[in-house]
Amino acid sequence: MKTRESSYFQQWQEDTQKQIEKRPERKESFHTLSQIPVDRVYLPDEMDEHYQDELGLPGEFPYTRGIRPTMYRGRHWTMRQYAGFGSAKETNRRFRYLLEQGQTGLSVAFDLPTQIGYDSDDAMALGEVGKVGVAIDSLEDMEQLFEGISLDKVSTSMTINAPASVLLAMYMVVAEKQGVAPGRIQGTIQNDILKEYIARGTYIFPPKPSMRLITDIFSYCTEFAPKFNTISISGYHIREAGSNAVQELAFTLANAKAYVEAALDAGLEIDTFAPRLAFFFNGHNHFFEEAAKFRAARRMWARIMKETYGAKNPKSWQLRFHTQVAGSTLTAQQPDNNVVRVALQALAAVMGGTQSLHTNAKDEALSLPTEDSARIALRTQQIIANETGVADTVDPLGGSYYVESLTDEMETRAQAYLDEIEKRGGAVAAVDQQYMQREIQRAAYDTQKKIENEEEIVVGVNRYELDEEPEPDLMEVDDTFVSEQHQRLESLRKNRDEQKVKRALEELAYQAEGTSNLMPFIKEAVREYATVGEICGKLRDIFGEYQG
Amino acid sequence: MKEKIRVLIAKPGLDGHDRGALVIAQALRDAGMEVIYTGLRQSPKQIVRAALQEDVDAIGLSCLSGAHNVLFPEVLRLLTEEDAEDVIVFGGGVIPHQDAKVLEEQGIKKIFTPGTSTKAVAAYIDQAVNEKRGSEKKLLSPPGGVDHIGIAVHSIEDALRFYADHLHLKVEAETEVPSEGVKVAFIPVGNTKLELLEPLTRDSPVAKFLEKKGEGIHHIAFSTHSLEDRIEQLKREGVPVLNEEPKVGAGGYPIAFLHPKAANNVLVELCDPSRKGEGVKS
Repeated sequence: MKTRESSYFQQWQEDTQKQIEKRPERKESFHTLSQIPVDRVYLPDEMDEHYQDELGLPGEFPYTRGIRPTMYRGRHWTMRQYAGFGSAKETNRRFRYLLEQGQTGLSVAFDLPTQIGYDSDDAMALGEVGKVGVAIDSLEDMEQLFEGISLDKVSTSMTINAPASVLLAMYMVVAEKQGVAPGRIQGTIQNDILKEYIARGTYIFPPKPSMRLITDIFSYCTEFAPKFNTISISGYHIREAGSNAVQELAFTLANAKAYVEAALDAGLEIDTFAPRLAFFFNGHNHFFEEAAKFRAARRMWARIMKETYGAKNPKSWQLRFHTQVAGSTLTAQQPDNNVVRVALQALAAVMGGTQSLHTNAKDEALSLPTEDSARIALRTQQIIANETGVADTVDPLGGSYYVESLTDEMETRAQAYLDEIEKRGGAVAAVDQQYMQREIQRAAYDTQKKIENEEEIVVGVNRYELDEEPEPDLMEVDDTFVSEQHQRLESLRKNRDEQKVKRALEELAYQAEGTSNLMPFIKEAVREYATVGEICGKLRDIFGEYQG
Repeated sequence: MKEKIRVLIAKPGLDGHDRGALVIAQALRDAGMEVIYTGLRQSPKQIVRAALQEDVDAIGLSCLSGAHNVLFPEVLRLLTEEDAEDVIVFGGGVIPHQDAKVLEEQGIKKIFTPGTSTKAVAAYIDQAVNEKRGSEKKLLSPPGGVDHIGIAVHSIEDALRFYADHLHLKVEAETEVPSEGVKVAFIPVGNTKLELLEPLTRDSPVAKFLEKKGEGIHHIAFSTHSLEDRIEQLKREGVPVLNEEPKVGAGGYPIAFLHPKAANNVLVELCDPSRKGEGVKS
């Protein structure tokens, strides 16, 4: 039967229409620049069973063509630029600047000591304070970070993993102090520890207690902060560590399955936490392979959730993801070329149906972005959204022989990895066996050799080099704030109620030895201005430290 | 047999991105070295301790977090404290050019910035360690100076008008090099010389240069020593050379040209004027 006459399509249209009445699309009708009308979605003339099973309609299982029926016709993806450096005060200024420039969500980068649970004055923090992100030692810093920013108006993504519960607790307390109930806060914590062991290295505790902290967050948020995404399962770093697209897809889904199983083992119901799982992928160079990767990811996840775990709520089947374009493809040579790379990678992410996007700044192979380069990066997304027309129809690449074939192939190859990991006892066991680490390392070395043999061309590096490289303007983080940060810590420790801090920390340690959900106890310690280092230190004493 | 070179690859600080460190470690192993990788999050103290325990020739530090200015010099300081300054320390990562310069002045032997080929890193370490062991001549010191600047001209006589009449420079020697199809005039100026090159035949390299680019600077010649070894070293680093063996240049001493694509489209000549009249090994 002709697609448009089929009852499947008719039903979809009716449902979509109802949704649009509640939440209209961006425009009443969409047209190309020469006034050719643009439909919501383009479909084959006849929809056979294969098409329906493998692709379906947007917003319908298996979501190959997108998780919402209208996608960006309804509203653009969230433009979420990752930012953070130096002190909370300075980062607060950059946040406000980005919000004024039209950014719609915040994304916090924390410095390495915060990410690994050390205070700024810890010996391990030498040279690292405020370098790759903002230094947060206590609730006081968090209050300063969001000063003048209403937490019921923005959604905030926090790239934090090992101490995710501590930073989430701080965010909730800041919201409370602003008069915003936890049920209204929106955002995402990365909270994906498995990829830290595989690819990024900012772990603190061994896998088992780390998994407990994660499932504690799942169940706590289900009850108290239902709009908060409790994890962002990340392929991004796996790719940055050198994997290829298939490995990125496979290892991310393997990790995701491990989190689901940990939560099920902890006694949670699949449909209570699954709708709050989010993903984070890399937007790399190969335009079609990247778009295919996102489409395959959605289809695979939908099937895993429905068929393997028996989830019933369609929201549990939908893979929602943030994309950051590939930092590792940026070159120090001819940094202006990075603007073009970023635009194309971002375009692939949009074609693949991302829910939010970070575009890198051109100078990130050299240092943190300047205000200028951060603005150009944001403008790149705004141009894609508003000027190119790619957001006016859903899944514009769907039905391309090439893209559909690549999507199928990505799925087949990723599935082979998933089967192998399953055979090894799942993602946690595979991490222990260094299986993923070895696979990634091999891929990374192969790529390097290909670049050196000029089998892979990197413009400006091994081809089309410039005689003279102009000196770029670089952002420099002023180190003078480090001693200020140390002083702030010192006066914090002097002015807080030391008895209460001690009691809260001891209670936390006691509960950590048991099996209670640790979130309320972490929140209590945070409220009394216990520091990140103190809280993580207590947990270190109980849980031990992971040695990579 | 030559003892294997031992290298410690280390990740100082809290940064967990070790793709670069792992790739370099693998490349050095492929180049025949023994490589120990410390793993993540090592303090300078731990790194120096491991280096002494493992008795390595060199330490490679990789850092992407921006903490290099604090952590790298600390490794050097601790090595000195342990009387182990002879361990070669090199580094890499996201390190701005200005910082690299300062670090090298402080005693880091070399900072390799992103985009450096792994071959170049391996060849450099090989050379540096062998020099330290005293088994090879020093090749890693920079050239001693600019021996001369070659300028392609249609006619030496016409060109001389400017140099002789207005700059009051004098020709020291004029000679023909039939094998290159060129006539040459040397004009001393300060510590260096100009070399005017006039083609003798239509198919000579200089004639082709003039046809393609017109008159102008043709090459820069750096004076060095150990020319043969240096050519070998450059080849190992993946630098394209035009002369695999030195030949005798117009000045009567051994020379060799590198391919212009090695040096931003500048034809570079290496020469050893201390071997004037000596000729070259065949």
